[in-house]
Amino acid sequence: MQDISLHLLDVIENSVRAQARNIKIRVINHVQKNLLRIIVEDDGTGMDSQTLQLAQDPFFTSKEEREKKVGLGIPLFKQNAELTDGCFNMTSEPGFGTVLRVDFTLDHIDRMPLGNLKDTLLGAIIGHPEVDFSINLSYSEKGMEQSFHFDTAAIKEELGGIPLTYPDVIEYIDTSLYEGIQNTNMEDV
Amino acid sequence: MKTLADLKKIREKAQEEMKLRGGNVRVKIVVGMGTSGIAMGAREVMKTFLEEIANRNLTDVMVTQAGEKGLSSMEPVVDLIEEGKPKVTYGNMTPEKVKKVVVEHIVNGRIVSDYVVATGN
Repeated sequence: MQDISLHLLDVIENSVRAQARNIKIRVINHVQKNLLRIIVEDDGTGMDSQTLQLAQDPFFTSKEEREKKVGLGIPLFKQNAELTDGCFNMTSEPGFGTVLRVDFTLDHIDRMPLGNLKDTLLGAIIGHPEVDFSINLSYSEKGMEQSFHFDTAAIKEELGGIPLTYPDVIEYIDTSLYEGIQNTNMEDV
Repeated sequence: MKTLADLKKIREKAQEEMKLRGGNVRVKIVVGMGTSGIAMGAREVMKTFLEEIANRNLTDVMVTQAGEKGLSSMEPVVDLIEEGKPKVTYGNMTPEKVKKVVVEHIVNGRIVSDYVVATGN
């Protein structure tokens, strides 16, 4: 993975595979705390403590029926956060869901860029119409805070039965995310 | 700034159109979004499909993301499913190849055999 938003996409897909119906995503860029924090919270099947431990092991995967028994998604995300003196925290409760919190040291030389957050979110939202996404981006610098909130449940309600892949809807979501990302200075983080 | 009022306009327009042609989905596209697919560029493949749908105003096409299915060496992998036809799986996709598949297969109904890695279920 070349950037953090690709890791984010990977963990969103994990949540979907765990049958999540609601996924909350927060990206926090706090300049004074020198912190870039990603939080992903889902209401999927969750994991017991043993599976939770195993998920951080590269030679474990929950994907059955396949020859190669490796799962590098979580271990690589963890490694990339720890390389910046950050930390990777995953908690889960079977039947309730999983919360992932990943901290990067903002100005660390080894921190990968945030990358194309817009395309990660756009693809996930439209590619999983059955899941409601609640997205929060926040940027703080010198006591000023800019934030952006995007909730797909409200959009779906307003659309009635019109699919998210309807051309004008794609443009609507794309533009909304673009503006939100610009307003919170997330484009070249 | 985009507002929910914009969505209302979109809904009214889409409902008019659906009265005319019915709301059926002619083509379903499934983009493989497992870890290896993502590492090989599946996000850009997904984005290009969405761009093409919006630019060409394709209203009877649906795109979803799904996990990987054991074709890791051919990622990014895309399934194209049309009612009453065998499923077509395209492999090693790039944004350029997506544009070609949209024009040739989705718009003109001709399978791009050079990119096909599997057919049927």
